[in-house]
Amino acid sequence: MKLLSRTLLKIASLKLAALAGLLVLGATATAMAQNPRIQTSQLDGLTAKASETVDVNIDESLMALTMKFLGNDDDEKKVKELVSGLKGIYVKSFEFESEGQYTEADLESIRSQLRNPAWSRIINARSKKDGSIEVYLMHTGSQISGLAVLATELKEITVINIVGPVDLEKLTQLEGEFGIPELGLGGTKPKRKN
Amino acid sequence: MKKSIAISLTALALLSLVPVTQAKDDRFGDVVKLIEQFYHVKHQGIPFLARAGLKTATTVARISGGPRRQIAEAGSVKVAFFDDQDFRSTSSYAGFKSSMNAVLTGWSPLIQVTSPKEEEQTYIYLREAGEKFNVMVVTIEPREACVVQVNLSPANLAKLMRNPDEMGNTITVDATTNDRE
Repeated sequence: MKLLSRTLLKIASLKLAALAGLLVLGATATAMAQNPRIQTSQLDGLTAKASETVDVNIDESLMALTMKFLGNDDDEKKVKELVSGLKGIYVKSFEFESEGQYTEADLESIRSQLRNPAWSRIINARSKKDGSIEVYLMHTGSQISGLAVLATELKEITVINIVGPVDLEKLTQLEGEFGIPELGLGGTKPKRKN
Repeated sequence: MKKSIAISLTALALLSLVPVTQAKDDRFGDVVKLIEQFYHVKHQGIPFLARAGLKTATTVARISGGPRRQIAEAGSVKVAFFDDQDFRSTSSYAGFKSSMNAVLTGWSPLIQVTSPKEEEQTYIYLREAGEKFNVMVVTIEPREACVVQVNLSPANLAKLMRNPDEMGNTITVDATTNDRE
């Protein structure tokens, strides 16, 4: 009898532990699902093949600093308005000497994160000549909480991740600031390096 | 009497600990050492540059005197040059980058640029230091390298942040040229 009750107790505690584990896993998954910061470290392997790699990380504290200390002339006021509320700007780009240096599998490491239901793709433009550009927004409730851009050309990959309330218009105005390259989203032709 | 001697001895002991604490936090020295070990090079001190009659010697000498810079806080500039040495080691960018990240634990990597084609690397790290920011800029080219550490006011840092691609160059030029006197 004692053995039976001990066994039942053991099973009950195992079930509880499993339930607790599932709850923790679920909470982690939800947190990850709602995190507008995307991971780009999976692309680091391309550094060895790239002719140039640029990695810009402007985190929340630096964004706050920029907001607080930029001046009050018209230009800086405009930038302050643009970055107001932003919690981070992250840019990673690779340029290659020749074509075929990266594969779809490399890009999949980014796309798989953006396939999460929290993200919605608002632009998907593809051209054989000019490459492709995908723009994604993350909504948290009715608010936009993040933006991601995956721009590829035959010899170039650019990943932009902006954390915070940002939309396409803001992104367009931020081109050329804080390490964000000219993407030509505002109708202007993107800047090309020689 | 015994008590005051004990207090004095304790004070002396504490004072003697200060340089050790500072040395432990000398990330500038650690980065210079890392470059020396990684690339098997040696940085030049001010006397060497002075003997060589290089323009930079005057620059460095004046930096240590602390004339007011346009961007960096006066007297805060630390510079180490590696002149006419071999930094061509194209296969080890990732290794060097991770070593830098390890040495500069607690600093935020703002921008990291590697150009194997031009054999150039630029790294900028930031750290809050009270009301100022410590900024470390490491530039490596095929035959020379430069490590610069400056203190920046938040206002200057905020301005430079708008163009991180140019930030390293701007800080290095500000720290190593003296044409405003």
